[in-house]
Amino acid sequence: MARSKHVSVGRRGFLKGAATAVTGAAAMAAHVPAADAEAPPQAPRTGTGTVAPPPSPAQLERDAGAVRPPAASGPVRAVVRPGSDLMVQVLRDLGIEYVAANPGSSFEGLQESVINYGTPPNVKPEFITALHEESAVTMAHGYGKATGLPMCALLHGTIGIQHAAMSIYQAYYDKTPALLIAGRDLGFIAAHSANDMAGMVRSFTKWDATPKTLEESLVAIQRAYAEAITPPCGPTLVVIDIDLQKEEAGTLQVPRYQPPTVSGIDPGQAREIAKGLLDAQNPRIAVGRLRTHDGARQAVQLAELVGASTSTSATQGPTSFPQRHPLCGPGASTSYDYTLGLEQPNATVSLVGPSLSTLLSRDPTNIGFGGIAPGVSRAGGAGRGGRGGAAAGRTIDVDAEASLPALIAEVRRQMPPDRQRIVQERSAKHATANQQARVEALRQALEQRRAGWDASPISTARVYAELWPLIANEDWILASPSNFSGAHNAQLWDHNKPYSYLGGQGAAGMGYGAPACVGAALAARSRNQIVVNVQTDGDLNYAPGVLWTAQHHQLPMLTVMHNNRAWHQELMFVEYMCGVRGRGTERGHIGTSLRDPFIDYRMMAAAYGMAGEGPITDPLKLAPALKRGLASVKKGMPYMIDVITQPR
Amino acid sequence: MVMTKRTTLLAGAAIGMALLALSTRIGAQAPAAGAPPAATAKALTSPVTGSAVKGKQLYYDHACYSCHGFNGETGARAFVPNWPANLATERSFIAFLRGRANVAPVQPSTSMPNYPAQSLGDEQAKDIYAYIRSFTSRQPPIDKIPAMTQILEAAQKPYKN
Repeated sequence: MARSKHVSVGRRGFLKGAATAVTGAAAMAAHVPAADAEAPPQAPRTGTGTVAPPPSPAQLERDAGAVRPPAASGPVRAVVRPGSDLMVQVLRDLGIEYVAANPGSSFEGLQESVINYGTPPNVKPEFITALHEESAVTMAHGYGKATGLPMCALLHGTIGIQHAAMSIYQAYYDKTPALLIAGRDLGFIAAHSANDMAGMVRSFTKWDATPKTLEESLVAIQRAYAEAITPPCGPTLVVIDIDLQKEEAGTLQVPRYQPPTVSGIDPGQAREIAKGLLDAQNPRIAVGRLRTHDGARQAVQLAELVGASTSTSATQGPTSFPQRHPLCGPGASTSYDYTLGLEQPNATVSLVGPSLSTLLSRDPTNIGFGGIAPGVSRAGGAGRGGRGGAAAGRTIDVDAEASLPALIAEVRRQMPPDRQRIVQERSAKHATANQQARVEALRQALEQRRAGWDASPISTARVYAELWPLIANEDWILASPSNFSGAHNAQLWDHNKPYSYLGGQGAAGMGYGAPACVGAALAARSRNQIVVNVQTDGDLNYAPGVLWTAQHHQLPMLTVMHNNRAWHQELMFVEYMCGVRGRGTERGHIGTSLRDPFIDYRMMAAAYGMAGEGPITDPLKLAPALKRGLASVKKGMPYMIDVITQPR
Repeated sequence: MVMTKRTTLLAGAAIGMALLALSTRIGAQAPAAGAPPAATAKALTSPVTGSAVKGKQLYYDHACYSCHGFNGETGARAFVPNWPANLATERSFIAFLRGRANVAPVQPSTSMPNYPAQSLGDEQAKDIYAYIRSFTSRQPPIDKIPAMTQILEAAQKPYKN
């Protein structure tokens, strides 16, 4: 992907950019009265109405970057090796690619180190400018699902943590690793600090620490990383005082990192399961969500070794079995005589765990969010924290991915010489049957989804169907949840990579789509991938400033608005309530619709500097717009297409 | 004020609905140029006595589109072109509206709301019925949709990852 990496903007460029923005805004806002649009710029006025004085020579000099260095006679630098440099070195050593933050004084030392320390500076990690802490953490959430690895977000004191709380909660519920660092400055603004800052989010973070020394801080960052990637994965938080960031590190060295050891099945269990798979006439492997891309590859390896048909959760979320793999599908026969569940319950033997309920000790105030305590869930434990439904067989509370190497090795060891031929024949039958099933299911899906094909507003099925031929041969990530947009990708697209579809919000909280896509696009940018964001309108309006982040950092993200001008599910709920109470549904739109005025998302994107087009209501104009958008994204620049859609 | 809001909604959300070229006389309704006839629908022939113009306004006011789409063909509860029995006649439609649940469920529901007579009179119901009877299918066959033929062709190619 061709991409310009320029980011520097001089004073002249800044002023020119401001003028361009004003001109552009005036051009777009044709309804602005001419007298207002063309009003000459005026000098800013003080509160008393007097004209502000012109800048002094010293101010002009400083603005021009001509600040004199300190006198050579005094101490040049009080601190030559700031503690925060070592913190950044720890992040580098851990492979952290990005640090997202909305700036805050409580981590100014760390921020300065991210942007200036090392050669080259501001690379792995690179500072990503966020316009809201919730966006910063959701970026890490999206990145974590796209890569299986943590991204870092910085939070400013008590206020930053509270801004981020919702997104931390979603990542926690989504079992997604994220490394959060909150700055604390006890001596600056009292309201921005607290004795136990992490306490505010302790119930839904996996681990936290408030180190007292610089050395402890370095160890804490390493531990936070390790805890985040240890199942059940989740966000972790380190609170670091500003003093520790600024203190002289002297000769202190970065401590050695100890990667976590994740337990899998024991050798006896591996022998038993391998025997079960090999003895079966028609084995089945049900694959849920694994932790890393490696896990997904190993699941394929195991299925191919034993010739098992498989199920996948790739259409519901990341890191599962490739949807179009020849072994994925019902197979030649649905009479399975042995089923192995990998992070998937209800099998003959299920490897599932550990679950969030193991983290109950992290709920000090006993809030019981989402009923994560066993037996508390109204859904009978079927949520993410529970086991889900009645177990058909035996469940082993162990991480499936960590069990795969031992299981694969045991299958290889036990494989009889004549079994490979049987496996090959069975695999070939499965492949034929699965292909037929796939095409038949696709025909049925297309038959349903041609409904309203030529209608205006545009059908959501058409949005997904028109997108697929354009991206099918690209390395793409669908990072936006599709559950509120008909989930048409599940039937129409092929989810063959561990990152093809990143799934839902985690805790079904809104404001997730765009920032998660930006996080995924950060991963995509350095991996030559593209991100597709089918963006629901209500969701975008929580923190649309993230569009600026996408533009500023030149991220390959195609946003296609699913603009139905409502919080649509809520509209249906309220309508039903109006009905059961017999009071009429005419006012059901109150509080559930985005009208009077409609929101113009192309102009919203333009305000953030992002190219785009729309609103599109003519279905014939959709595909050409998508092609233009994709061309932009493949050049490394985000693009926004506002599509007025059918409600669902 | 209410009327202003309705007008705004119609001017914006229903831009494409102008293609429908609505008429109060449903029998005079013709498919838009280029639109194919309903593929599987059995055309309803029962009498229609309401006003489709008034019905269109009511369809928006009551947000019927939220479940049935702007032309009855999409969404959670589509009914075009496979018209269900409760839409066979004005009478069956009104009976359907009146017979919905009138007890609030424990959990949120997106089921069809109840419409007792005090919230939607018979005349209004007939107007809505007239409007939805004007809906025509806008779905070409799959082999006339390039994107769908490409999807089908791609699915028949060997897997590669």
